[in-house]
Amino acid sequence: MATPTERLENWDEFEIGAVLKSFDENGNYSRDHSKTYKVADWRVNKPIFNRSTCIDCDNCWLACPDTCFIVEAVENKKGKKQAKIVGIDYDHCKGCGVCVEVCPTPIKSLLMFPEFTDEKEALANWPKKEDKKD
Amino acid sequence: MAEKYELKTKEVWDGNTAAAHALRQAQVDVVAAYPITPSTPIVQNYAQFLADGYVDGEFVMVESEHSAMSACVGASAAGGRVATATSSQGYALMVEVLYQASGMRCPIVMTVVNRALASPLNIHGDHGDLYLGRDAGWIHLIANNPQEAYDMTLCAFKIAEDEDVRLPVSTNQDGFLVSHTAQIVEPLDDDTAYKFIGDYKQRNPMLDFNNPVTYGAQTEEEWHFEHKARQHKALMDSPAVIERVFKEFKDLTGREYKLVESYNMDDAEVAVVAMGSNYETAKIAADKAREMGIKAGVVCPRSFRPFPLKEVAEILKNVKAIGAMDRSAPMGTIGALHNEITGALNAFGYNSIVTGYIYGLGGRDTTVEDNLEVFKDLALNAEAGKRVTPLQKFIKLRGPELSFFKVGE
Amino acid sequence: MQLNVRWHSRAGQGAVTGAKALAEVMSQQGKYVQAYSVYGAEKRGAPMTAYDKIDDEPIFDHSKWFTADYVLVIDPSLVFNPEIVDGTHEDTKFIVTTHLSKDDLLAMPQAAHLKDKKLYVLDAIKISQETIGRAIPNTPTLAAFVKISEVVSSDSFLKSMEAILSKFPQKIIDGNMAAMKRAMEEVN
Repeated sequence: MATPTERLENWDEFEIGAVLKSFDENGNYSRDHSKTYKVADWRVNKPIFNRSTCIDCDNCWLACPDTCFIVEAVENKKGKKQAKIVGIDYDHCKGCGVCVEVCPTPIKSLLMFPEFTDEKEALANWPKKEDKKD
Repeated sequence: MAEKYELKTKEVWDGNTAAAHALRQAQVDVVAAYPITPSTPIVQNYAQFLADGYVDGEFVMVESEHSAMSACVGASAAGGRVATATSSQGYALMVEVLYQASGMRCPIVMTVVNRALASPLNIHGDHGDLYLGRDAGWIHLIANNPQEAYDMTLCAFKIAEDEDVRLPVSTNQDGFLVSHTAQIVEPLDDDTAYKFIGDYKQRNPMLDFNNPVTYGAQTEEEWHFEHKARQHKALMDSPAVIERVFKEFKDLTGREYKLVESYNMDDAEVAVVAMGSNYETAKIAADKAREMGIKAGVVCPRSFRPFPLKEVAEILKNVKAIGAMDRSAPMGTIGALHNEITGALNAFGYNSIVTGYIYGLGGRDTTVEDNLEVFKDLALNAEAGKRVTPLQKFIKLRGPELSFFKVGE
Repeated sequence: MQLNVRWHSRAGQGAVTGAKALAEVMSQQGKYVQAYSVYGAEKRGAPMTAYDKIDDEPIFDHSKWFTADYVLVIDPSLVFNPEIVDGTHEDTKFIVTTHLSKDDLLAMPQAAHLKDKKLYVLDAIKISQETIGRAIPNTPTLAAFVKISEVVSSDSFLKSMEAILSKFPQKIIDGNMAAMKRAMEEVN
């Protein structure tokens, strides 16, 4: 992806050592922070997350190269704090599919679909156990 | 709090001991090193100082020189004053990370003890390692005796860490001829030395969690050129800082250093240019040459990078014949120093006759007599007003004479 | 005039330490010094040489080779190596460690290279074994050199050496001091 023209600074303008700062002087996310750098348009296929089969093993959270899994803090039955996967940050997901590979549930809780697929429709037609090949 | 080391006004130290004491006095935060002959005693002495309570920082013993420099880059990016030492094969293994260190603008100080590169294996001094790091984006300072090894190391911190520089600096001393030769060194006391260097000033430290930064960004064709150009400019501008630091050092100690050192150059008709201990040996040869009626002088660039092009041209412009002495296998050219000198003279429009001499490889002893032979060659060229000796000669090479570009060939 | 001293030793016998000690003693007398040794890939026990240059003027010559004014041989077997007379002149003084008397040593065909040389002998191995408890012949040979050369008075020398040795345990210091005093008496 080409760097936008307005960001092509001259040699005497940027920080030495190619150091990138996460925040600007006002404490806001800097333009170099990945939060402000979206890669949604890189995607051809996208993962869709099915909460109903997820066992919160966090494999996808760990494996995602772009930290795209959104988690919520919840309490388990014993009152212990736990992370719950609740969705995918589609601004930063580039559709690599690693999360699907590492998902261990008998029926995958993550599957790849063409980018234009409607999420509700995909969840409604989620494969059943007997549908599973190999 | 580190204990003070009791020092005499005159110590008898070899170059390694001198460099180790300078590192101790700088109160380095992190030294990461992998010892290698002939610089081992620097690391060994430093570790001893730390064990004995004279140093507050950390010593990281790593598994290779590549790791040593990598740990130095990490510690420097984290925000500490950082130093290491190496030689030869260790230097070679570090090269990949030397470029990282300078590109990330980490002001690391490395006390290098110059040693030949294998193969064949050799532990003795030549400048093969210094030349290997030539284009790595570091400032390379030259020390010709143990006193200078001490002085240059103190100055190195101040130069590297200057706001206008922020580049790594290496100090170079000849293996064994300086590193293992004990001579009189007049050290500063611990407080004075530390005060001269000053407290470390952080810039973009990774351990500042309120202002997180990323080091080691990837820059492709849109960015890379600009970053490298900016780094080059920092090097090209650094002589002003080097000279300022040298001036402050002179005010403190009375010992004067210049970008280009010279001996008897005022009326010199012939001159030898050399870096390292042979600069001093050549001084004696120059005296002897003058007794024979040859107006001889000696020149030594104190800084190999940035190379003081203009100052070198200026000091050599009236000299008729120049001998550039390279202590490294030239491997397909005349010699790195030779090429720098001819380039400098040509750039400023001077036409002295320059010939190259390869000497001292792998520690081959180079005597006053050997230098005198060079002066005699130069006198022939000066007398003839043109080059009559070969463009490249080898000093004290066993076997039939080896030379390149003889006149008339 | 520059005074040149060359040490012949086996790696581990302390020639480098001896050469550095001499340099330190002479620096305290206001002299300029250089002390170095020629290293190779050798291990403990290999023959090696160490050097001292002593001068009233700063020393700029960094070449290794010189003509020795004094040759100190601190290992008894190296006395028989003809290389010890290389790089010497007519007045070079040889101070060698041996259990033999001067005459007995010179009578040996293996010591022919020492004929007509200015030769001094002492048994630095025996002296060091009996005083320090180990065969470390460097300090007694250094003391013998000071006695013969008179580059510094015996008193100042011993005082300097006591300071140089101060980092060692008292037993070692006492042993070395005794060894040096004995060497000064016994060298002949």
